[in-house]
Amino acid sequence: MSDEPRDATPAAASESGADVSDGFAARLSRFRERESSTVLITIVGVLVFPFIFNNLLNGYTQLATLMLIWGIFAVGFDILLGYTGLLSFGHAVFWGGAAYAAGIFSASVSSQPLLVLLAGTVFAVLLAWVVGFLSLRRGGIYFAILTLTFGQMAFYLAASPLAFLTNGENGFTSVTIAPLLGVIDLHGGVPFPLSIAVDNMLYVFVAVVTVLSVAMANRILHSPYGIVFRAIRENERRAEFVGLHVWRYKLMAFIISAAFAGIAGSLFAIEGNYVPLGSLYWTESGAIVIMTVLGGVGSLFGPLFGAGLYLYIENIVSGFETLGSFWHLILGIVFVVAVVVFPDGIWGGIEYLRDKVTGGDES
Amino acid sequence: MTVLADILTILLNGLQQGAIYVLLAVGLSIILGTLKFVNFAHGALYLIGAYLGLFITGQVPLSNGQLADWGIEAYGIGLGFTAALVLVPIIVFIIGILMERFVARSFYDRPDTDQILVTFGLAVIVQELLRALLGGSSQPFPQPGWASGPISLPIIGNFPRWRLGVIAITAVLVIGVYALVEYTDFGLIVQAGTLDEEMVRLLGIRLSRPYLVVFGIGAALAGVAGVVGGPLANVNPNIGTEQLVPAFLTVVIGGVGKIEGAVVAGLMLGTLQVALIQTGYAAWSQVGIYALAAVILLVRPQGLLGSEVDVA
Amino acid sequence: MPTNGSSVSRRQLLQTTGAAGTVGIAGLAGCSGDGGDGGGGGGDGGDGGDSDSYPALGNFPVEGDTVTFGFNVPQSGPYSSEGQDELRAYQLAKKHLNNGGGWIEDFEDLSGDGVLGYTVDSVNGDTATDADTARQSAQRMINRDDAVMVSGGSSSAVAIAVQGLCQQENVMFMACLTHSNDTTGKDCVRYGFREMFNAYMTGQALAPVLEEEYGSDNTFYQLYADYSWGQTVQESMNQFLSDVGWEELNSVPTPLGTSDFSSYLSEAANSGADVLLLDHYGLDGANSVSQAVNAGLDEDMEIVVPLYNRPMAQAAGGSIEGVFGTIAWDSQIDNDASNSFTTAFEDEYDRVPSGPAQLAYAQTLQYAAAAERAGTFYPPEVIRELEDYEYDNVGLGQETMRACDHQAQRSIPVARGLPESEQSDGNFIDLVQVTSRDDVGYACDSGPAAECELGEYGDE
Repeated sequence: MSDEPRDATPAAASESGADVSDGFAARLSRFRERESSTVLITIVGVLVFPFIFNNLLNGYTQLATLMLIWGIFAVGFDILLGYTGLLSFGHAVFWGGAAYAAGIFSASVSSQPLLVLLAGTVFAVLLAWVVGFLSLRRGGIYFAILTLTFGQMAFYLAASPLAFLTNGENGFTSVTIAPLLGVIDLHGGVPFPLSIAVDNMLYVFVAVVTVLSVAMANRILHSPYGIVFRAIRENERRAEFVGLHVWRYKLMAFIISAAFAGIAGSLFAIEGNYVPLGSLYWTESGAIVIMTVLGGVGSLFGPLFGAGLYLYIENIVSGFETLGSFWHLILGIVFVVAVVVFPDGIWGGIEYLRDKVTGGDES
Repeated sequence: MTVLADILTILLNGLQQGAIYVLLAVGLSIILGTLKFVNFAHGALYLIGAYLGLFITGQVPLSNGQLADWGIEAYGIGLGFTAALVLVPIIVFIIGILMERFVARSFYDRPDTDQILVTFGLAVIVQELLRALLGGSSQPFPQPGWASGPISLPIIGNFPRWRLGVIAITAVLVIGVYALVEYTDFGLIVQAGTLDEEMVRLLGIRLSRPYLVVFGIGAALAGVAGVVGGPLANVNPNIGTEQLVPAFLTVVIGGVGKIEGAVVAGLMLGTLQVALIQTGYAAWSQVGIYALAAVILLVRPQGLLGSEVDVA
Repeated sequence: MPTNGSSVSRRQLLQTTGAAGTVGIAGLAGCSGDGGDGGGGGGDGGDGGDSDSYPALGNFPVEGDTVTFGFNVPQSGPYSSEGQDELRAYQLAKKHLNNGGGWIEDFEDLSGDGVLGYTVDSVNGDTATDADTARQSAQRMINRDDAVMVSGGSSSAVAIAVQGLCQQENVMFMACLTHSNDTTGKDCVRYGFREMFNAYMTGQALAPVLEEEYGSDNTFYQLYADYSWGQTVQESMNQFLSDVGWEELNSVPTPLGTSDFSSYLSEAANSGADVLLLDHYGLDGANSVSQAVNAGLDEDMEIVVPLYNRPMAQAAGGSIEGVFGTIAWDSQIDNDASNSFTTAFEDEYDRVPSGPAQLAYAQTLQYAAAAERAGTFYPPEVIRELEDYEYDNVGLGQETMRACDHQAQRSIPVARGLPESEQSDGNFIDLVQVTSRDDVGYACDSGPAAECELGEYGDE
């Protein structure tokens, strides 16, 4: 692969270009350094976030928790959309499917949070294998429509024929969550040193999973897999010519993104003690698309930021006296502006501005 | 009730159910086939058509939304249903032309993904603007006076008169568009452009104007669908996106760019849905159409009547 | 050209953008200014006595000098016209609680000067007739706005989801319009109370009336909304109509929010049943009735809508003629409480209130009165005041809020739709009878109550 910059996103291009052209050892050491700093940033971020959010931004911890959960979903979705260039309109099936699997597992097998999380994620992965295998036979709009079709099919299955499992329109109300590792009550308070930063054990649990997820995504994106994903997005045919089995990598990207959706969906069931039928509806797939694009595709923190912004507008701005009722409209306009003007989203815009101001780091 | 009557009822209901899918799908399909443009805002055009229809037909009281907060109690100019049936397609045609010129055109060279994203965003804007201004509650769309109540048909018995009207209007419009594409010079250029755009340009024919018209016609069909479909149920800001998904399925099942394909696929989906409900499998009626779509797309990715040529 | 993302630059980036982002959004939030009670306004805690005697629980103690109620109603979706009327009644209740008027004089516990010395404030939410949206909205009210009580809930799926949340958060839930047996049956909670009757009681009240009108040897066919409410209506109607000797030929679920019932109705017409039960509510109900009449079904069969109300009858227009059903309350019920509510509502909004409006108003006042009796907002005490409370001040005669399942034991109005020619002035229905509470209901160990386990008070 050459590092000819024919990509619309300069940051990603130069990053991947640099990765490929440098020596392997140098790359590895820089990656190590970068990985620990990424993880560190995430840890500090989730630690200070509730304090800033609750005190300065009119927020509340439950919403902060939900932001992280959707953030995990968005980080995974970006691996598919931003890095591999595939637009799925059916990811609600993994989010909602995992939530149902986790909920049903908790009610009938084991209510250990970690096992529940695992059950939901595994279910999402298996489902993604099947859906991805079938949907990826065609590219472009066929992929978008096939994923949408499978997503809607799952919604209507859960609504009626499978209502004996899912409880249909009523939502699944029998989620039961035992204390974590048998001792930590997830819906309880937090012991002293941590309680300076947060007031809710569930947030701590979700935050830990978030940090692990970001670390995992970071590692995937900087592994050979991640490099191939980007190569596919930049030029699928060229990737094929250099001997890569493109279809298999696409399926891998699809399954990986579904695994993140599965983690997030399971956390969603644990958080709410409840799984709504709406979690499978295609508007949820639309929401994750908006979050990811809004925040910025092709970056690690962009989607996290997008998820937070979306939920902030939905839950906090919607309460404002004059703007409130227009919140969804505002989101739509910002979204279109982002697609047309800032293909890298708001996060990309921020990075761009930063480079303008500092004149870039070296070039 | 005889078996024959049962079958006929299912077919008639299926025809009626499929008619709206067909109207939407034909427009969507010619835009996708000719312009290679993926329009996720097609449902929004349906939505605009329905609200415009309400506005032109009668007086609609406002109970929530910003306009109500600003003290406006009702909207509408009360020209009656027939006026709506004539005016709405004209207005939505113009909206379609503006959309082609100012949105679609700058996206022809960008990937499908970007087209989907920008039109999806536009659909959200239209839907949420209507919701913010007029409120989220559903409005009943009155049936035209001459078509309300049941009509007694041989064998079948009572059938809602307006639903027969829907079938008739759809048939007329679809045949009209089909004739336009098959038998006129305009249609010839469009067809040629679909097959080999470069060759048409080399022959010295400018495609930008026919493209404009194609987009306009597709939009106008969606607008009419809104007026025709409105009285079958209710009008609220969600109906656009609700119709979009089945409409897209109809297009890809039928084969992109194929009017006959859209008709066959729309009627198939409608009939299947109705047949499942009327034979005691109501719970499976929605699952059924998606399953059918998935199977067809997997077995025959180019659609029932589509040719092997890939899309974009 | 941009950087290759070395660790230093990333960190710098995060610091700068983090700070910038914070300032930006904080500025935005600042704009909202009066957007709620966020700051708590430096109140002195009012007559703070009560916060000393009880530990903090849910949103207790109340900070500042206002107390917030959350009104969570459908402003979009199929039940939105009911929701709008509920919202009007909630606002009226708030006004009366703060300034007197309406029922305040007749509720001996209420003063018309706020509740427990606190001014009543409110936040509204749109449930979109969807359980998930409703739950999020309620979560917001509880966590962002510190509501001590949440009310609202058409669509029983909404009520059940929200009351589950309220139990978890130790915040009171006053149900408003939810008619499913499960709300005070298998999904009942300690923190939820319901003034509305349920499907079971509708069956008990309606079956004798239908038998008297249409005879005892009928077959019937049901279409029902496919969720908690419709399912229990189907079940209960089947149970009580079978008791009077009717036979159910078939019952078919339709998804909530279905707007086109034509194929379902064709199949119903083919069944040859004598009576068609449309267990749909709100706009879905108005649609299914008018589409049934439009398809000529009323020529061969009688149509019954087990639960309906004024906005539905209005939306259905002439199609509602002769249709029997039960209603939550109607302005034609002639007693002091009913009349005074109707007058107050008409004075405020220049329109006749619907049944759901009366429920919204009644449940808000009932909560306020219980808090006054308890002398605190501490939820377990308020709950104990409401349990087994006897009252006759909401316009439906003598009632009991039963302790075992939190279901009001009350009488049930049965109505019949008026022909279009006689519909006028907000009058769309004819009140057939008000079935006494002695003729309906069930013991704590039978019917839906047998499955009810209320859960904890929160001070155990």
